[in-house]
Amino acid sequence: MADGSKVLDVAGVSKRFGDLEVLSDISFQVAKGETVCVLGPSGSGKSTLLRCINWLERPDAGQIYLTGTEIGVTGAGIVMSDRELSRLRTRIGMVFQHFALWPHLTVLQNLMEAPIQVQKRPSAEVRDEALALLAKVGLSDKRDAFPAKLSGGQKQRVGIARALAMRPDLLLFDEPTSALDPELVGEVLVVMRELAHEGMTMVVVTHEMGFARDAATRILFLDRGRVVETAPPERFFSAPETERARQFIQRYAGHVANGGCRT
Amino acid sequence: MIHDFGIVWSERNLLLSGLGNTTILSVLSAAAALLIAFVLTPALMSKQQWLAGIVRGFVDGMRCVPFLLFAYIVYYGLPSVGLRLDNWTSGLVALTIYNAAYMAEILRGAWAAQPREPIEAGIAFGFSNLGLFRRIVLPPLLLAAGPVIGNQMIQIIKDSAFLTIIALPELTHAASSIQSRHYVPFAAFITAVFLYWGLCLVIEAGVSSIDRLAMARR
Amino acid sequence: MTGGDILAILQGAVVTVTLSLTGILIGLPIGLSLAVLRWADVPVVARIVTVYVSILRATPLVTLLLLLFFALPNIGIAIGPISAAILALVMNTAAFNCEVWRASLMNFPRDQYEAAQSVGMGAGLRFRRIVLPQIVRSSLPGLVNEMSLLIKVTPVLAVVGVVDITRAAVRIGAETYDPLPPFLVAVALYAPIVFVLVSLQRWIERRQAMAEAAA
Repeated sequence: MADGSKVLDVAGVSKRFGDLEVLSDISFQVAKGETVCVLGPSGSGKSTLLRCINWLERPDAGQIYLTGTEIGVTGAGIVMSDRELSRLRTRIGMVFQHFALWPHLTVLQNLMEAPIQVQKRPSAEVRDEALALLAKVGLSDKRDAFPAKLSGGQKQRVGIARALAMRPDLLLFDEPTSALDPELVGEVLVVMRELAHEGMTMVVVTHEMGFARDAATRILFLDRGRVVETAPPERFFSAPETERARQFIQRYAGHVANGGCRT
Repeated sequence: MIHDFGIVWSERNLLLSGLGNTTILSVLSAAAALLIAFVLTPALMSKQQWLAGIVRGFVDGMRCVPFLLFAYIVYYGLPSVGLRLDNWTSGLVALTIYNAAYMAEILRGAWAAQPREPIEAGIAFGFSNLGLFRRIVLPPLLLAAGPVIGNQMIQIIKDSAFLTIIALPELTHAASSIQSRHYVPFAAFITAVFLYWGLCLVIEAGVSSIDRLAMARR
Repeated sequence: MTGGDILAILQGAVVTVTLSLTGILIGLPIGLSLAVLRWADVPVVARIVTVYVSILRATPLVTLLLLLFFALPNIGIAIGPISAAILALVMNTAAFNCEVWRASLMNFPRDQYEAAQSVGMGAGLRFRRIVLPQIVRSSLPGLVNEMSLLIKVTPVLAVVGVVDITRAAVRIGAETYDPLPPFLVAVALYAPIVFVLVSLQRWIERRQAMAEAAA
């Protein structure tokens, strides 16, 4: 683990939709520079957890702290105004399963929109940084294209660059490769691995076991809305402590061995 | 027959001012109706049942009332309850309020068909309230709804002709005046028809250029 | 406003409904014929139809009605208010129906048409037995929509002296110096008719969407 200062602290978060308890009493922390992979069967609440972190979903109970600041609730226990919530959200980058690029803006404009409009940073500086980010994800030549003209893999790389353009303290990935054709998954994982190596703090919900094994610093295993197990990837994959985790890994064992096919 | 068109030509100033008034009326009320729709549409889609219900009632109600009757009520009926508007104000108010309901329904349909994720991304990237609506929600919405809004603008131009009955000096009224003054009905009204056609062709050209923008993004 | 006044407006309603139905019944098949002419791309005629539809789409019904009512007698064709009203409604609605029918024809799967050809059906038979039943279905919501639009423009017919709902209401308003009540009665007569058509359109659309989802 990196320097040990907590970027994210999730304390006892619960969420229910009607009668269905999606998350119950989830607690975990993410230190600076960590890559935490959230694994679990579908329907285990992984995406909801991610969406609760930046309050796209409002948790029913529990607290979430970003570098010590509570998200969604002010010191006096009052729910934040949209404006305050927005300011905190700009520090959390999010990469979506279906890319969620803004269709009316070009690739470069997608990267520059929020830094200029929300963070109010000078446009020349934002532009330089955006161009550098596009080069980093290998899409310099697509800067003036509209999202609709890109392949899925390209869209998702733009999605990652767009999140990075906010200079976030934390990056959230919501199944970033599960909407992609199998042959396009690789190019996105390459970018994500690079970010992990550079020490970006990330929480990644994924079904890519190969990525989880060699890029994660820690695995968070969710089942039926609970954290069933949390461990470094080597230990999680070779010697899981719980029966649920063992079954889960067994089902995906083949995929782990050959280094991360889609599930 | 050529002589008749000569008479119409000699009255071209009257006709052109009618065309100008029709254009001003239609453009002003279309813009105002669209602005009102920007407020009505979020209300239509609101989770507050009472608010959505009231606006839904207004929108459906307007869609069931003939425009001409609505204009009559605004001009002739409102004085009975103490509200007297001149014919220009009545015409503009009637056209605007009536079409705001249609525009709101058009925008609601286009909004409901928009994918949810890009809007959610806007929220996640720190946009809120007006900024979210103006920068993230509205542009793709207008691109998608462009052709239907164009159709509605043509409808507004045609509705504006009804205002001739409250003596508003728009294009049809101008043609009527020429016809009653010189008794050249065919020349006067067919000229008006072609001028209306010209207006619509301009709108259609505008719509197709919006459509080109939309196609590049689709 | 007296009971007799309301009765007068109701008589106007009978005129309005009769004229609307006549306009719809004549306009529907003419619209279909125009659409087929465009679809079959009959030389010259198809172009004329295109221009006709484009002009009529842009022409307010009042303007068209005044043109017919005043100009036709001018060239020796005697026409009364009722005939002018029906003619204007038909010309107007035929253009819009043409667009609805044409959209369905354009979306009609070509291979079905060829399949009918391959089993030896002649052009007339092909159209009547294979094409028509299907495009009636897909045109239905658009046609119902056009009917509600047509009914909503009928108050204009009062301009040339047809004693419909609107003219009856105007007259009573002028006699009683209180125009609001008769207009509200007029609205109360129109709104349910249009509402039924709008609901019918939504119902057909929902049913067709459900049938499509099930298939």
